[in-house]
Amino acid sequence: MRDKPYFAIVYMFVVTAFFGSVLIGFARLTQGRVRANEQLSFERAIVQAFPEIQYKNNLEIHQIFTEQFKKDDRTGSFLYEQNGQLAGYAVPFSGQGFWDKIEGVIGIAPDQRTIRGVAFYQQKETPGLGARIDEDEFRKQFVGKKIEDSAEPIGIVPEAQTPADNEVHAVTGATQTSVRLETLMNQDIRAWLDAMQNREATP
Amino acid sequence: MSPAKPTKQIVLDGLWRDNPIFRQILGICSTLAVTNVVLNTAVMCISLTLVTALSCLTVSLLRNWTPRNIRMMVQTLIIAFYVIIVDLILKAYWPEMSTQLGPFVGLIITNCIVMGRCEAYAGSNPPISSFVDGFFNGLGYSFVLLAISVVRELLGMGTILGFAIPYFSSPYWDKWIIMVMPPGAFFVLASIIWLFRSIKPKEVKK
Repeated sequence: MRDKPYFAIVYMFVVTAFFGSVLIGFARLTQGRVRANEQLSFERAIVQAFPEIQYKNNLEIHQIFTEQFKKDDRTGSFLYEQNGQLAGYAVPFSGQGFWDKIEGVIGIAPDQRTIRGVAFYQQKETPGLGARIDEDEFRKQFVGKKIEDSAEPIGIVPEAQTPADNEVHAVTGATQTSVRLETLMNQDIRAWLDAMQNREATP
Repeated sequence: MSPAKPTKQIVLDGLWRDNPIFRQILGICSTLAVTNVVLNTAVMCISLTLVTALSCLTVSLLRNWTPRNIRMMVQTLIIAFYVIIVDLILKAYWPEMSTQLGPFVGLIITNCIVMGRCEAYAGSNPPISSFVDGFFNGLGYSFVLLAISVVRELLGMGTILGFAIPYFSSPYWDKWIIMVMPPGAFFVLASIIWLFRSIKPKEVKK
């Protein structure tokens, strides 16, 4: 059997099937935990989009998320409530970055204009360059900026340019990431603005 | 088929005489990428050592059945198998670490050390001896990486494993930010290769 020409093919099939099956089993086994971790990092991003919220650990994040954030199905955002009062909107955004999907959340004040904060829960941009969008230095720039009611609600501009009221500085050396991030954020913020306006138009 | 080397020789070769990093200059990509913080480096080293040892064991167990012309495919498959398992474990039980190491856990598959040991040793030697060989090559890689990361984290951030070190974390020490950035890795790696290569073994004459 071993000197037959087809042995190599049969052998490869058997070996692949064996290791593949073990992996599928193992992935199934850890699936629950991996899902829970993903959900938690999403909840963390929602909470981090409002920098004033204090938390000590993951359990608290989950508590804050379930108690103070309510999904608004009509706009796809989350309503942040403090003592029964609307304290802001958490608007998730996602889209294709330079290497992989970028997903994050933008926190917007009840005036529907002022940005409270931005947080990311999924990005695989170039470490040291594009990945720095996840660093405080970049994210903090958004705080206090005002989104514009236009086709491009926010802007990410090069270092040399002075940012306007709705613009922030890009990460140096990460042009592609910045361009894509600007596009994907604008798409989802625009969609949210439209949904909000529709909601107000139809009571 | 060359006879299996005695265990002591395998250990010494892996750790020092044929050290994958400063003798063979293999697996440099991860050396440069993950050594800015000691904790990340440690997790990377443990992962690589486990993957290398277990892959060598498995390749060696299958060596008498694997047809020679497809042995590379089989080796890659086995290595990928262990790497995915390590990746899944990190994703499930240590998600923060998984995010920090990012793509570098997956890239162990292409780490030359793993394939190098499978091909050079495990493919023609018995399982136990192959396991030991893989394990100590992993350790040889690990101690060099840990040395690099200690230097980088200490000079660049004034900490080791996140703990502040006296003097280096005080205002008297002007932190060398470049150490935690990619160029720092090149400087430290080069210095360490230079240092270790200039330590000559005593019995050098044959």
